[in-house]
Amino acid sequence: MNRFIEKLKQGNAYLYLIPCFLIFGVFLFYPFVKTIYLSFYKTDKLGQAKLFVGAENYIDLFTSEAFYNSLFVTLIFVVIVVAGSMLIGLIAAVLCSKAFPGIRFFSTSYALPMAIASSGAAMIFKIILNPTIGILNKLTGLDINWINDPKYALICVAVLTAWLNSGINFLYFSAGLGNIDDTIYERASVDGASGVQKFFRLTLPGLSPIMFYTLVVNIIQAFQSFGQVKILTQGGPGESTNLIVYSIYRDAFFNYKFGSAAAQSVVLFLIIMLLTLVMFRVEKKGVKY
Amino acid sequence: MKRKVLAAMLAAALAAGALSGCGNKANAAKTDDTQAQDTADAADSVITENFANVDTNGTTVTFWHSMGGVNGEAMDYLVNKFNDENTDGITVEAVYQGEYDDTINKLKSAQIGNMGADLVQIYDLGTRFMIDSGWVIPMQEMIDADGYDISQIEPNVAAYYTTEDGVMYSMPFNSSTPLLYYNKDMFEAAGITEAPKSLAEISEIGAALEEKGGAQEVLAISIYGWYFEQFMCKQGLDLADQENGRSGAAEKVVFDENGGGLNILNAWKKLYDEGYAPNVGRSGSDSATADFTSGKAAMMLGSSASLKQLLEDSGGKFEIGTAYYPAVSDSDEGGVSIGGASLWALNNEDEKQAAATWKFIKFLISPESQAYWNANTGYFPIVTGAQEEPVFKDNIAKYPQFQTALDQLHDSSPEYAGALLSVFPEARQIVETQIENMLNGSETPESAVENMADEINETIEDYNLVNG
Repeated sequence: MNRFIEKLKQGNAYLYLIPCFLIFGVFLFYPFVKTIYLSFYKTDKLGQAKLFVGAENYIDLFTSEAFYNSLFVTLIFVVIVVAGSMLIGLIAAVLCSKAFPGIRFFSTSYALPMAIASSGAAMIFKIILNPTIGILNKLTGLDINWINDPKYALICVAVLTAWLNSGINFLYFSAGLGNIDDTIYERASVDGASGVQKFFRLTLPGLSPIMFYTLVVNIIQAFQSFGQVKILTQGGPGESTNLIVYSIYRDAFFNYKFGSAAAQSVVLFLIIMLLTLVMFRVEKKGVKY
Repeated sequence: MKRKVLAAMLAAALAAGALSGCGNKANAAKTDDTQAQDTADAADSVITENFANVDTNGTTVTFWHSMGGVNGEAMDYLVNKFNDENTDGITVEAVYQGEYDDTINKLKSAQIGNMGADLVQIYDLGTRFMIDSGWVIPMQEMIDADGYDISQIEPNVAAYYTTEDGVMYSMPFNSSTPLLYYNKDMFEAAGITEAPKSLAEISEIGAALEEKGGAQEVLAISIYGWYFEQFMCKQGLDLADQENGRSGAAEKVVFDENGGGLNILNAWKKLYDEGYAPNVGRSGSDSATADFTSGKAAMMLGSSASLKQLLEDSGGKFEIGTAYYPAVSDSDEGGVSIGGASLWALNNEDEKQAAATWKFIKFLISPESQAYWNANTGYFPIVTGAQEEPVFKDNIAKYPQFQTALDQLHDSSPEYAGALLSVFPEARQIVETQIENMLNGSETPESAVENMADEINETIEDYNLVNG
């Protein structure tokens, strides 16, 4: 023990990392390795690796129409969610950047989705969207079967998710706006810049570092959306909202095919990692600190 | 360069989060087969000759169930009653574990770590899995050791839970049959005196119900795999080979070959195309119930276990009628099979626990409890003695609708007991997805049946490969 403390005092920095890596190891690295291991096996009804099949799980995936559908649906979903949630967050943040009476009320309500659990929100949306007793059809006079029609189901889930994610974006953007020096706006005004010009020439570039961070986090978050799908549509109708994370869940914990689920997890991991790397690469060109 | 490495590490850490959810669970599922085998062997030694006289004072029985809503309240009432009244010093801790699917999945995870319950309620679909798991004390051993008279139990219900060799593995508790619920007021206004007996007949009376009865929707039918299975039973046709999976593990489905599946989908599609049975979503969405209780739909298909909830939800706005589950065409001569769940005693290597569990089971299936259970849920009483109880008689007098499920059960011969399929949960998902595709027009009934059969067969093949 004494020697250990001695070492710490000597400034052996790696020792300080042990607790962190222990937690990482148990909750991140071990499951990660195990998932890769499982993806090469077929599992029995308890989800234990039973039969080594090599790359068969992957081959099955890449020859299955359902998997491509899953990827395609996920892609559309991510685009809608990221664009929607960032737009809502940005507009709300810009609106709340000026002081006016009742600003506290407005900023609280824009940030509120952050505090709502996705499952809870999904339950409420389920009632709102109900074709018979739901308020949406009642108010608009439409007769649309929102979550049972493949044309609308994905959009409904995506819009809900976008709204849920917008709260945290509002917070990020508000912080970002606060960091922009007020004097540059004053100077621009003296030069005769219009509001629109100021927004595009000053506000947006000023926000670009935080914008980049938000984009990365949003994309990853959107890829991992689950509760909404589970409660609202269960992947249906047909396969129209079968996001890849939901598909993983269904294979693993419903069908007890951990092999296939693990293979999908690995593919999802690669996709997110690739996207993240690309974004960090792009960041160097587009973001001005 | 340093930044690049950092970026890559950050990316990996962020992305790895995506994997960890699944991985954790998978590693919790780490065990080996020998364990299951051991417990199966040990089962003999848990129940001794002294079983009936074991002192159960101070025991706590953990009971996992899946009864929510109105049915959950009835369950809580029974558990509390047992805790207050039993003189054996037993305390039952009832835990609601979510829907049937959730319970069995939680059990799988918990059982591997040996931290499960003493008694668990598992749906009919899980019967095959539970028998094979080796985690349970077969109910028959307790019945024999205690000398319980099994002839009290409804023969049709007992038949479902008894295997070929005459062993009852689990105790039936909540059993239901599917029913056709109808809005009597609308039927009266439309001048229809009798409930339809088949989907074909529903299509005939649809126009009258809409024009004269004031129905906006004729039939609210959720997309539910169970209904598909019941329509097969009503046609008297098998769903799977090996005599519906009862004489051995099924190797493939046969609803495509015997034409039963196509009959169902054609009739369903016809009702949909005529506008009589719109897509109200899957069973979990509750839209069918909402449509019916709000007075929009003239009829709905549902489990008899929904009866109490429907009576409450409709709030007496209209009179609810119950009728037998419809056949596909008028010439069908099959019956319905039961649905619902049964009670499984888990083997925790402790006779005292087992004895306490058995005493609680006996309480749950006593005529008095079953009469209460029936009156407050709509599941029919599984012991014949319950029909003599005043609670049962009063309830039937007040709501004659409760009688239909019981009559239907007695009218169905045990040969329509329905299929046993190890991959049932997944098979249902496949069936539901294909029905959705058909209703949305992306598949024809023919291709939908073909897809169902192909996908389910593939699943069965996979399952038999690793679990055979």
